[in-house]
Amino acid sequence: MTEEMDWIIQSQQGNDEAFAQLVTVYQTPVYNLCYRMLGEPEAAEDAAQESFLRAYQNILRFDRQRSFATWLLSIAAHYCIDRLRRRRFTSISIDDDDEEHPMELPDQSALNPETETARREEQEQLHKVLRSLEATDRAAIVLRYWYDFSEVEIAESLSLTVSAVKSRLHRARRELAKRWQEEQPHSHLERSPHESPAF
Amino acid sequence: MNHRPFEDWLLAEEPLTSEQKTDLQAHLRTCASCTALAEVNVALRVAKSVPPAPEFNARFQSRLAARRSAQRRRNFWGIFVLVASAMALLLWLTLPYLLWAIRSPMEVFITWITTLSFIFTSLLAYGWAGSVILRVASDFIPTYIWVTIFALTGLFGLLWVASIRKFANLTEGA
Repeated sequence: MTEEMDWIIQSQQGNDEAFAQLVTVYQTPVYNLCYRMLGEPEAAEDAAQESFLRAYQNILRFDRQRSFATWLLSIAAHYCIDRLRRRRFTSISIDDDDEEHPMELPDQSALNPETETARREEQEQLHKVLRSLEATDRAAIVLRYWYDFSEVEIAESLSLTVSAVKSRLHRARRELAKRWQEEQPHSHLERSPHESPAF
Repeated sequence: MNHRPFEDWLLAEEPLTSEQKTDLQAHLRTCASCTALAEVNVALRVAKSVPPAPEFNARFQSRLAARRSAQRRRNFWGIFVLVASAMALLLWLTLPYLLWAIRSPMEVFITWITTLSFIFTSLLAYGWAGSVILRVASDFIPTYIWVTIFALTGLFGLLWVASIRKFANLTEGA
């Protein structure tokens, strides 16, 4: 039995210390998902805390045959999607939020100041264009690229069919490219040697 | 501009042959939309996870404790309202009996005496009224009417006793 499964079983038996261990392990993945979905550090913190609370309250329902990460991130993704939909109803402008909450990305592996600046700019741009996506499309993209979820896992997490996930991922990436192009109409990709290839 | 098959290659994200890569590079030099798609692919692949602020777990434990406290308060008030409602209903239903029970023994004794004397005087009054009616009736009702009334009463009495005995026998026989 893995250590994680041991913590899960103990959490299901009411051991708060064991659940605290799970929080420690998954705090960054859950927070990052919420941050990528909601785009603001304060909202992401609140959503991540709420996601862990929901996981705590429903830990007895967790099926040990499934992946805990998939289950937990599914809770966080659904929470963020609901929150974004509610936010849309309250008519809060995303563009206004961008001005109020500039992105703060820690970058521990910067090779040199120029590379760091370029990467930060690129990440800020990505963060900005990501927020233009519809909530479920955004969740699919985040789960695919930040967590390497397969299409089946994304479908399971977001309660969609696999074909719907494929369709959403394609549509989302087209939309991202369109927005990316609008943000930098005359630029071309200048990939650094250490970066992953696009194809 | 025709983006096929370059856009499909970029969207599929599958490994390309060296010839395909060369063709794609040539296309990207002239196509802004496919370049944007390739740039997005790169940006997504190199994107890093953002960690939360330090002490996230401690803040979670505080929030959990607060949520539990709120839940306990909600449970307490829920039970309080339920018990209070049940007690109010019980009080409303038992109030007449309680009022009677909480009276002093002398009050209860006086009530009993009053009730008994009421029953006694009522019986006396009914007896007196009955004797008066009989005395008055005997003066103007002929004797044969009295004989008929008593005979019919006796007959009905016999019929009543006979029918009871018959039904009693039927029940035993069954």
